[in-house]
Amino acid sequence: MPPASSSSGNPSPAPTDDLGATLEQERLPAGLDSLPEPLVEHSQRERLLNAMARSCAKKGYGATTIADVCEGAGVSRATFYELFKDKEDCFHASMEVALADAMGRIVAVYSPDKPWATMVRDAAAAFLDLLASRPTFARMALVEAPASGERAFELYASGKRVLQSLLERGRDDPVEEEAIPSSAGRAALSAAESLIVGQILAGNAARLRELLPDVVYITTVPYLGQEEALRQAREAEKAAVPADG
Amino acid sequence: MPAARGQKRERWRPPRGRHRLPPEVIARSQRERLLEAAIRIVAEKGYAATTVADLTREAGISRTTFYAMFDDKEACFLAAYDNVAEALVRRISLAYEAEEGWPRRARAGLAALLEALAEEPAVARLALVDVGAAGPAAQRRYRAALQRLTPFFDEGRDFAPDGRNLPANTSRMAIGAVAGLISDELTEGRAEYLPKLLSEVLFATLVPYIGPAAAAREVGEKD
Repeated sequence: MPPASSSSGNPSPAPTDDLGATLEQERLPAGLDSLPEPLVEHSQRERLLNAMARSCAKKGYGATTIADVCEGAGVSRATFYELFKDKEDCFHASMEVALADAMGRIVAVYSPDKPWATMVRDAAAAFLDLLASRPTFARMALVEAPASGERAFELYASGKRVLQSLLERGRDDPVEEEAIPSSAGRAALSAAESLIVGQILAGNAARLRELLPDVVYITTVPYLGQEEALRQAREAEKAAVPADG
Repeated sequence: MPAARGQKRERWRPPRGRHRLPPEVIARSQRERLLEAAIRIVAEKGYAATTVADLTREAGISRTTFYAMFDDKEACFLAAYDNVAEALVRRISLAYEAEEGWPRRARAGLAALLEALAEEPAVARLALVDVGAAGPAAQRRYRAALQRLTPFFDEGRDFAPDGRNLPANTSRMAIGAVAGLISDELTEGRAEYLPKLLSEVLFATLVPYIGPAAAAREVGEKD
């Protein structure tokens, strides 16, 4: 069911059932219907983007220099400046790739026909797998970007808004009818994000999938109540270990 | 003997020249001044743009004194960061301990945190948001600071009807929810409105332990 209140003219995009429309609203990188190619290092540009993410993971965005990035990529300074205006431009491009990747995963599991809780679980699993497979990008996108200038923050925030609108579908038919604050979805996402970031910073990115039951619990409990959220979490436990590889 | 009284000075400093203050007292006051200055300057200029010279100037100490205390800017910032975290935890703890019953304790602790952050918007933003840009060591310090809140949240598990069955990471996640809501507000430049966030932050704290219905009831309860 689409939310009853439609146009209110507020600046932040209203949550919607239609993921396509949300992606549109957020002006996300184009070309989402074709899933982004895995970032193979076959071009200098991609090598630079990878090197940027690696350097951020190692010393932080602030301390990263263009020299670090060029050296890490094995690319000359001149080439860097042919491809990017400055350090921020390169960082922004890395973030765009990370975000397009994440959104591609979400689009792949999204279906309006799935029960909401199943969709939340599938999206969370896809997201955790992506982060586990790209820990340096995960770290850049979730740790560095929010604190590294407005452009990068905007990309980070737009990705988060997409996840939020996906989650807020839970508000449509809450099992318990108590008024829950409008920030409940945002808070739940921050809760999951914080757990994930803690794991990444502790060097446990490879085991992120194990967090699936916890993530399912925290994101569904405001909407479904404890009993049902715990049931969903137990259900997710079966999926907490990837089938293989 | 209070030696040089009456001289104009903005802040107390140990009198110059020969004096009777034990060296460790002098060192302590210099260190405190430095840590205080470090937080203020980094909050103002950003971590990357801050130099050791900024720190020594603001704290009124020499470069030599600085390097006797810290290896570099980062070490100094990290110590200053820990100081801020320590003070915040102390304030939360005082308010929390003064109440009975976990939901009321949580409410009091969160209110104290929001008020403390609202009093110093620049420091609040540095402590919760911009710390992400100060390098990996600072990011770990931020995580460690969040971890220090765990005991306050873990009590929710004992209070919860179904406490034993809750996910192992419940407290970590609840802390993350609180930090996220506060960071969002700080990012919007709304630090002074933080105290108004109490009911949302309280709901986010309670909901994983007692569910939405009970959490909403507790939030609605006025003391």
